[in-house]
Amino acid sequence: MGFRYTMIGAAFGIFIFYFGLLASLLFSTSLTGFWESLAHPSTLFSIRLSLIAATLATFLAVLIGLPAAYALSRFQFRGKQIVDVFLEIPIIMSPIALGASFLVFFNTPLGEATQSKGIFFVFEFPGIILAQFATIAGLTTRLMKASLDEISPRYEAVARSLGSSSWQAFYRITLPLSFRGLLASVILSWAKAAGEFGATVTLAGAMPGKTETMPIAIFTALASANIEKAIVLILILILLGLVALYAVRLTGKLYRYD
Amino acid sequence: MIKIEGLAILLKTFSLTDLHIEIEEGEFHFLLGPTGSGKTLILESIIGLHKPKKGEIWIGEKEVQGLPPEQREISYVPQDLALFPHLSVKENILYGIRAKNHYLKNYEEYVESLIQVMRVGHLLERYPANLSGGEKKRVALLRALAPKPKLLLLDEPLSGLDPSIKYEIQQLLKTLHTSFHPTVLCVSHDFEEAYLLGDKMTVFIDGHVEQVGKRDEVFLKPRTKNVAQFLGLRNLYRGKILAREDHVERSQLDINSLQFSIPNSARQSNMEIGGEIDLYIRPEEIMILREGKPIKESLKRNIFIGNIMDIANRGRHHSVFFQDRGKKISFEISIPNYAFRNLDLSIDKQVTVALRDESFWVME
Repeated sequence: MGFRYTMIGAAFGIFIFYFGLLASLLFSTSLTGFWESLAHPSTLFSIRLSLIAATLATFLAVLIGLPAAYALSRFQFRGKQIVDVFLEIPIIMSPIALGASFLVFFNTPLGEATQSKGIFFVFEFPGIILAQFATIAGLTTRLMKASLDEISPRYEAVARSLGSSSWQAFYRITLPLSFRGLLASVILSWAKAAGEFGATVTLAGAMPGKTETMPIAIFTALASANIEKAIVLILILILLGLVALYAVRLTGKLYRYD
Repeated sequence: MIKIEGLAILLKTFSLTDLHIEIEEGEFHFLLGPTGSGKTLILESIIGLHKPKKGEIWIGEKEVQGLPPEQREISYVPQDLALFPHLSVKENILYGIRAKNHYLKNYEEYVESLIQVMRVGHLLERYPANLSGGEKKRVALLRALAPKPKLLLLDEPLSGLDPSIKYEIQQLLKTLHTSFHPTVLCVSHDFEEAYLLGDKMTVFIDGHVEQVGKRDEVFLKPRTKNVAQFLGLRNLYRGKILAREDHVERSQLDINSLQFSIPNSARQSNMEIGGEIDLYIRPEEIMILREGKPIKESLKRNIFIGNIMDIANRGRHHSVFFQDRGKKISFEISIPNYAFRNLDLSIDKQVTVALRDESFWVME
């Protein structure tokens, strides 16, 4: 067989593999069962909870990730390498280990003080946000750093020489120029947060009507043999993911300056 | 007056110990150094993006070393121009005035005249992506000049341009300079660029200043062999002083066992007998003599017979490569086209050349 066909064959192999997986989901559900499960209050709750939690977690990740990404992209400073390596922590660490670490932390004096004086995280809504934030913050920073790296620092140098402060130069020049890449980073981070399971279930638990996000609801639905509900949630998660991917594609068509 | 005093940059890969530059108001000054001579770091230090080890930068009466870039009033046109791609030409041009929160009204007339001189009036609503190379360059210059900077920094303004655009931008920079008199510091490694644009230049090689002077002075009288080599000058030789004839203000010189008589005016300092020197023989001052014509007395001192090895057409002049009969020395001779046609030269032809007194220059 020719070289070209082997390679293209492999590409289609991957496609068929995933497509078959998705098709089996559609095959195993009926339309009436689908609507019933979707309209169920616990399903709607999970969807709403996931959307809100992922949005808040992403917001927090951007809040700290954007300046961090800028620093890593533009400045030379002591400890830069270490910071860079630690961005990978959530990637090399199993999510359940991440969640467990939080449980351990909240048992230390500092952790207990945080909870008694401030917000409760363990088995509470803020715990979901914290777990999702921990999972995506490194990734968000890494992705945003990559999009800032694409913008030549010379633009800012010129803006500075023309009278802009470093804040203004960032806001007026670098931010709009890297907006496309930053937006794509945000969307991908959000999708990852929405799909997060291991850290969330460990830290916030799987309490129906309280901390049961979509991935957790899938898990409990399967555990109680409610296949119909599991499939509905899986399909919605997939749909959200596809919308996110499509949105990332769309950002590629946004503001092309070059 | 812009003064850079004792600028020192010390990095692992590069060091510059003591850079001094003085630029009069309205002067077009060239800072010329070979590639890898720290051009970018010097630029960044002047702009304020890099903190040098030591040194002072005076803009008029103000020392700006402690100030951030936005308070220095130094505009910068990088080699890649860095026009803001998300802003229209007009927004690019007004960026500096707006960033400083200055009243646009006070600048209207001035910017209008800049736009006219630069011929970008028809481009104002366009975006940088839709401009040609020459247009981009014009917009970048305009953007830098619009807020009336105290100093305009240019980074190799002519490099990487097509020959036709190069000429256009060269003319434009000259017009700009004569109409608006900005104080310019142009950093470059291209001696041709310096020749085309500069009033005055500072040549720095290996981290220190080798020569400062008017453009023609530097090209005609390079202070050291380093400078001469860097400027791409031909006909550089190593020679030895044989004798001094102080009563006629001349010296006898030996190069590759050939004798030359050079005037004392060709040297910068005293020369000891037996001392070795670097000699530059200016290609434009070497004459190819016409057969059968009487030779002027003043030319008789340095006459050589030999053959033409090669001829190159350089556009406005011809370069003739000459080697003497004994194959001891070769000269590159530069001849204006009209003279070249009259001489009827060809490769291998035997000719007699005479070195005018003006052709000699002894370097330190």
